[in-house]
Amino acid sequence: MPIVHSSQLGINSLPFPIALINSEFKFIETSAGFIKLFNLKHPHKQPLSLLDLISELPKSHLPKTELPIREGFKEVITSIKNSNKLKWLKLKFHLNFNIKNTYYVQFEDITKEKLINNLACDIEEVGRIGSWNLDLANSEFYWSDVTKEIHEVPSNFKPELEKALNFFLKGENREQIHKLVYRAINDGISYDEKFKIVTGRGNVKWIRAIGKAEQLDGKTVSLYGIIQDIDEGQRRALVYDNLNKKMRIGIKSAKVGVWDFDIVNDELFWDDTMYELYGHNRMCFTGDFEAWESTIYPEDRCKAMSQVQLAIDEKNKFDTEFRVIKEDNSIAFIRSVGEVFRDYSGKPIRIIGANMDISRIKNKDQRLRQLLNVTEKQNQRLFDFTNIVSHNLRSNASNISMLSGMLNLEVSAKEQKKFIEMIQTSSERLDETIAQLNEVVKVQGTSKYDMHQIPVKSTLIKTIESINALMLTSSVDLKIDITDCLRVYAVKSFLNSVFLNLLTNSIKYRKSSTKLKITVKAEVCENHTVISFADNGIGIDLKKNGAKLFGMYKTFHKNKDAKGIGLFITKNHMDAMHGKIEVDSSLGKGTTFYLYFSNNRDNS
Amino acid sequence: MNVMQIFLVDDDEIFKTAAEILISANFPEFEIVHFENGLEVYNRLIEIEKTKGKLPVLMLLDINMPVMNGWELLEEIKGHKGRIKSNVQIYISTSSIAPQDMNLSKTYDFIEGYITKPLTNGDLQHIRNSLLR
Repeated sequence: MPIVHSSQLGINSLPFPIALINSEFKFIETSAGFIKLFNLKHPHKQPLSLLDLISELPKSHLPKTELPIREGFKEVITSIKNSNKLKWLKLKFHLNFNIKNTYYVQFEDITKEKLINNLACDIEEVGRIGSWNLDLANSEFYWSDVTKEIHEVPSNFKPELEKALNFFLKGENREQIHKLVYRAINDGISYDEKFKIVTGRGNVKWIRAIGKAEQLDGKTVSLYGIIQDIDEGQRRALVYDNLNKKMRIGIKSAKVGVWDFDIVNDELFWDDTMYELYGHNRMCFTGDFEAWESTIYPEDRCKAMSQVQLAIDEKNKFDTEFRVIKEDNSIAFIRSVGEVFRDYSGKPIRIIGANMDISRIKNKDQRLRQLLNVTEKQNQRLFDFTNIVSHNLRSNASNISMLSGMLNLEVSAKEQKKFIEMIQTSSERLDETIAQLNEVVKVQGTSKYDMHQIPVKSTLIKTIESINALMLTSSVDLKIDITDCLRVYAVKSFLNSVFLNLLTNSIKYRKSSTKLKITVKAEVCENHTVISFADNGIGIDLKKNGAKLFGMYKTFHKNKDAKGIGLFITKNHMDAMHGKIEVDSSLGKGTTFYLYFSNNRDNS
Repeated sequence: MNVMQIFLVDDDEIFKTAAEILISANFPEFEIVHFENGLEVYNRLIEIEKTKGKLPVLMLLDINMPVMNGWELLEEIKGHKGRIKSNVQIYISTSSIAPQDMNLSKTYDFIEGYITKPLTNGDLQHIRNSLLR
């Protein structure tokens, strides 16, 4: 059948969308396919002009002159006007050589392709993935916009294979990509690897390069692939790795043990450091909550358990301290912190935490407290020392001064004699004060080398002998309830002083109506020995004067002999011997003093 | 009795003996009354007030005394509603040079002054001059 080239051939019946328009875009003829595409069933609803149908159609898109057919068409991608559905059309304009100033318009529905293309572009943008295509036959190299962006080159950059390969970092990276690309070309083997490139702006970047070969008859005709910018992710991963390494080293050197408790299954995981901290064998550890509980020092168990529960109940953060008994029976102080992890319903499912051995810190802390205590006591002694100097020395010295001045006055011999007597008394008192000062100073200079095991009873008896006369005149009923062999850890002269002071005090403050009875007893306890001096004297109002009792120059009786320094010195003596003194008394009934002597040689 | 009185409150008899001689020399027209401690003088002052008698013009008060010391006495006077605060010129007379004592005396605004022993003619002249004002 001959092929007919007839200008009279109508297009109405043609099944594909095609229309004939004039230079005003008005329709002359339309095909059946055209009607179907644009859903134009009713003939009188037909649009008159192409412009009614299409969104954008600038006049410049029409071919201008009589050009050969091959070049006589222009492509337009546009969308349908006033349409609910988004339709993308490719319009091809052909010059109609048969009728002047008329054009054929070919319509192609490229909606799907356009959407896919759009999506692909979006994917590229978001995923920072650029595509490329190397047509080996035509040496045509295509880079997508994103590919160019990744390489930090302008959009008019024309890629060439060698140029492209030179982006790769000189050295290992470049050698590798060369190898892979040539392998793909020669053998059709695809590649997918990470590389470092140097961009057009000189920045070093991590990329993932994928290349695939398209083969025809066993020969590679083109290469295509993608370039993905993984720089951020890669750098982050490296930082993370680094941090991870540092953290592990940190944890190991700080001897922090990490534990992981699965609450639901009662499974407890300990890392190696944990076993070291607790001094337990991995083999013997049953790996459950009870196992941990049993390692804790019994006294601390209750607190530790409640801390765990409080953390689980969200009442508290888990941050607590407790002692553990190691396998060698030594004790360590542990600080344990942890965080509770919950599922979506808030139920606690896991606790992860860290343990540290703080024994050294605790010990130092305790020693610091002891030191502080001692310093405070010494400070108080220094303060009291100042008081002695300020008061007793000065008052006696000032009296002497006043009286000496009066000796020059014109007074009678009798009065002169009186003045001289008073000067004498003041001098004696001054001397006494200096002696007492000396006592206090001596206590300061005491070292542990002066401490010995002193026999109590014999020392007491010697003291009594030294005040024999006083004892007789006061007719004291003395009872000593101490074994002959009892010894206390003390300084001999201090012990003497203390006994002397307590005895003379009892005598001084005895009731005038009742015969004085003094009872001296001893009691040996685990850490200390207590010697008590009980009398039936006038007693002390402890509520009123209890605090001042052992202070300096604090007297509460009108007794002229009460200078108020005896008990102060006695307390000083007891403190210096690492002991203490306590008093119990009721007004009108009597007083008991308790002397505590430390048993241990090292006084810890 | 209409004679003007000076109360000398101190537990140190030697000081009181010497002080009396000095005070008499500077205040010849005054009668000097001795007290052993804060409680003694407090009781006397209360008694005078009750009987609407004549309060002492001047009081020299020591700090360190048994039973009731100088500070304790001042606390009692401070809390007491009456003429004592306003009518009696009180001087602390003490051998203490401790700063805390001097500072503590400043917290009692009704005290006239703070004298450190030994008591001298100069001190007494100064007191006399401020009395006359």
